[in-house]
Parts: sequence; structure tokens; C-alpha cells
Amino acid sequence: MSCAVRSGFPALGFGVGLRPPHYGHVLEAHPAVEWFEVISENFLIAGGRPLQVLERVRAQYPIVLHGVSLSIGSTDPLDADYLRRLRQLAERIDAAWISDHLCWTGVGGHNLHDLLPLPYSEEALEHVVSRVQRVQDALGRRIALENVSSYLTFCDSVLPEWEFLAAVAERADCAILLDVNNVFVSAHNHGFDAHTYLAGIPVERVVQFHLAGHSDHGTHLLDTHDHPVCDGVWDLYAAAVRRFGALPTLIEWDDRIPPFERLHGEAKRAAAVAAEARRDTRRDATSAVASDHRA
Amino acid sequence: MTLGETQHLLWRLITAPEGVAAALAADADRGGSIAAQLARMVRSDRLEAAQRLDIYANMYFFRILDVLKEEFPATAALLGEVGFHNLVTDYLLRHPPAHFSIREAGRQLPELLAGHAATALHPCAADLAAYERALRDAFDAADAPPLTASALAAVPQSDWPSLRFALHPSVRVIASDWPVDVVRAAVDQGESPADPEAIPTRVCVWRHEFAVLHRALSSGELAGLSAIARGASFEDVCSVIGEPYAADAAAREVALALARWLADGWLVEPSTTQR
Repeated sequence: MSCAVRSGFPALGFGVGLRPPHYGHVLEAHPAVEWFEVISENFLIAGGRPLQVLERVRAQYPIVLHGVSLSIGSTDPLDADYLRRLRQLAERIDAAWISDHLCWTGVGGHNLHDLLPLPYSEEALEHVVSRVQRVQDALGRRIALENVSSYLTFCDSVLPEWEFLAAVAERADCAILLDVNNVFVSAHNHGFDAHTYLAGIPVERVVQFHLAGHSDHGTHLLDTHDHPVCDGVWDLYAAAVRRFGALPTLIEWDDRIPPFERLHGEAKRAAAVAAEARRDTRRDATSAVASDHRA
Repeated sequence: MTLGETQHLLWRLITAPEGVAAALAADADRGGSIAAQLARMVRSDRLEAAQRLDIYANMYFFRILDVLKEEFPATAALLGEVGFHNLVTDYLLRHPPAHFSIREAGRQLPELLAGHAATALHPCAADLAAYERALRDAFDAADAPPLTASALAAVPQSDWPSLRFALHPSVRVIASDWPVDVVRAAVDQGESPADPEAIPTRVCVWRHEFAVLHRALSSGELAGLSAIARGASFEDVCSVIGEPYAADAAAREVALALARWLADGWLVEPSTTQR
């Protein structure tokens, strides 16, 4: 199963989100970033500069399409036109993979342009699983779904979030994009243990990590993508690498965007943290084998 | 409560223009039971359910507000912080976003402004917003190879009267009683805009490679481009451009306009099909 899921998600290394303020630098300086992720919806347009930039960047780097409007958990019908255009874009740029969020973004034909959590109920599970299967059929490939930061929980939930996410991935046969910052934020906001979350996610389903900064609003943490990654998230990331392996990792930074080198520095730090975590894992494994041998 | 009922109730509260708490209070005053439904739906602990929903309500409003400020910087500057905030509040009530792309969230703002109280205070506001939306549309418009003079020269002379030019997908023609392009240019230069004096303004917005450009139009160009946009034949385009002139001068005006449109890349492959 591990090979089956991960085989469709190449080992890209450490990347950053491609945002308009950095277009010029990326095209001119060709920084040594291993890959870029873009917001799919920003490129589902007829033409113009964004698409030309995307194609020029793609000529130099792998690109992953990361969506924010799939609305996989909405009770509105799936948007067939959106899926058709997303597939066309993925084929046009030979996207490494497509991801979106385990959430709903609107209902009644409206779009809140926000990532709202679902009740973790049997009804929601069946609903989402069925839609993921239809989306994967429409796109002709397996997708990765990301856990979101959340600020409320539902009385109807019968599963913890990590069990719901795992069940969606297993039943719908999709992959998981594990956002480590979102685990950290939601753990703080809802009082669960972030390490319990990681332990509840099936290793073979996780294909990518997200890292980002958040803001502390006193009563809650907010997933703002406008700060560097904090120490607590780096520690949790190291734990995630020890459990899931050194998977493709991406730094998101969407507001108060810093100079490219600052963003790139976060990706380099992720590489260093992942390398250190892998050394820890190998050391632990060696010790365990040696201990067994002595016994 | 079903998943669909849950989502509809959350949407209603998150988008309530007066805020979640006020919406719940207003519903209670009407004898409604939304507060009780919310209490059964969303857990309250360190934060009450309504406070938790307010986090989403604030993110919804301020995300769209920021996007619209970016798309309509001159309109926002002209109306001021409070005026634009109130406009967006009214706008989201009438036109909540429906498109999958947040770049489409502001499409109906010029239309709303045309009948909005803000336009009574700032008469150019609706036209300014329409101009700013045209800049966005030109940026995102489809690519198409512009018509070249040599390709046009290959069209047989007998086909010219029935020739139907087509505008490049990025071309937008703006006619206003206000110098909206000047107001926007001032804001782009970091100046604070003031309500301008009325000056009839005709301007074309288009994209050349990566850059969105604009230039003023003559009255003949405006008439001619508008005719092309309606699908008029070249014969009809000549009529509207040449209307104020004698025959020789009319021919010169048409030739001049056509040469400029070709140079600016505003035309694409014409057709000779009848409409």
C-alpha cells in the first residue's frame, strides 16, 4: 500500500509557495528551490501573465497544484466545470500532483473563500468519501487532502479529527497532505495532543507536509501564514518526519510576504530539521537492533 | 441536524452583516430558535459557540475586504476607510461570492455602486470602479494573436465591406463623464484622490504581453470600437467613424483609427461571415 499511494507523488524535496511578489525573482534568478506549489484557482483563467509565468516557472521546476475551492465537504453538487478546468491545467503544466483541503468552503451556491471544518460524523464521512472518489475519477488521478486549522468543533462529531481524516483517506483511497502547522493550531484551539494526532494518521497515506506561521490571538491561534514557522511547529515537524519519513515539504507564506531569500531560508531550515530527524530515526533504529542482538 | 442544514445555518450566521451575536439576538427578538440550534451544533468551552463563529465571520469579511481594496485601490481611497468598509458590507449582502476564484469576488461592485449612496457623495465612484474592474479583466483575459497589417492586406478588396473585425479579448472600452484614468493614475503614484471635476473621458484598456496599458480614445475611435464590439461590418464601422466628416476626411479618419488599432494590437483575425 505504501508504494501504491506514494508512487504517484514523486520525492520533490523542499519547496515554497509561489506568490506574485516573487515572480520576477524566480524567473530571473532561478533560485535553488526544489519545487513550487501554486494556488490552483489563481491559474484557472483564460490567459495573461499568471499563466505565462506559470509555464515559464514550470520549465525550470516541478509544480504542485494546491486548491482552496474544491469544497469536498459541501452539500452543494461538485462543480463539474471547475474540475474540468483543473484537470486541463494539471495536464497543461504536467503538475506533480493536485491537492486541496478536507473542509467545505460554501453552500447554497456561495463561496466563503474560507476552509470550514466538518462534523466528524458517519454522515459526513460517507458524503466526503463518495465525493473524493468522484473527484479522483474526474481528475484521472489520486488527490491529496489536507487537514485544516479550525476554530470550532461540532457536537455531532463521533470521531476525533485524525480518525476522520484517516478514514476518508483509506475509504476513498486518496493521499494525505499533512499540514503540521494546522495540527499545532487545532491542537491548541481544541485541547488535544498534537502527537496523538500524528500517531493516528496512517503512515503510508501521507505524501506531503505543509509548514507555515500562525498568529496568537490570546483566546486562540489563527492560521494566518504571515509569520515564520514557530519553534513548536518545527519540533512537531521533526516528530512528523520521524513517523512519516522525509516527505516533500512546502513552506506557505501568504500575507506580509517577505523577500524570497527569507522564504527560501525557511525551506532550507525544513531540510535541516528533516535531515536531523532522519538521523535520530536511524540512530534509534540502530540502537534497537543492537539491543535486540545483545538480548 | 443534517450536514446540509448545519452548513446552511453556519453560512447564514458567518455572513450576517451585523455579526454573529447581533444576528442571534435579532433572531431571538423575532421569537426564533437559532441560538438553541447553534448550542446543539457547536461546542462551547473556552469560547462560546458564537465567539467561535465570529472568528470565521471576521475572516470572511476581512479577506474579501482586502481583496476588493487590492482590486479597487482608487475607489477605496476615494471613499475612505469607513466609506469603503460600509460599501463592502452592503456589497456582500447583495452579492455574496459565488465563483470558485476569489478574483471574481468584486465583479458586481461597479454595478452596485451605480445605485449606491456612496456614488451620491462621490459621483465618479461607479465609473472609477468599472475602470478598475476593466484593468483586472484585461490582466486575466485570454491570449490571442493580434491581427497584423500584412494579414489584413491579404484580404481581397471585395470582402472589406462585409469584414467583421473582432477585438482582442483583453480590450475594454470605457466612456465616462469623469477622468477615471487620471484618478487611478494619481492613486498609483501614492497621491490621495479628491473628487475630480467632470471631464468627458474615453479610454481603452488592454494587455500587451504582461503589461496592462490604457490610452485615451477619440470620439470616432470610441464609436468604431463600440460598433466592432456589437459585431458590425467594416462598412458600418466606417459609417460611425466618418459620420461627422466629409468623404475624404472620413476615409482619413478610418485609416488613421485602423492603423492605430493594428499597432496597439487591439484587433484579432476578422471574419467575413454575415450576421
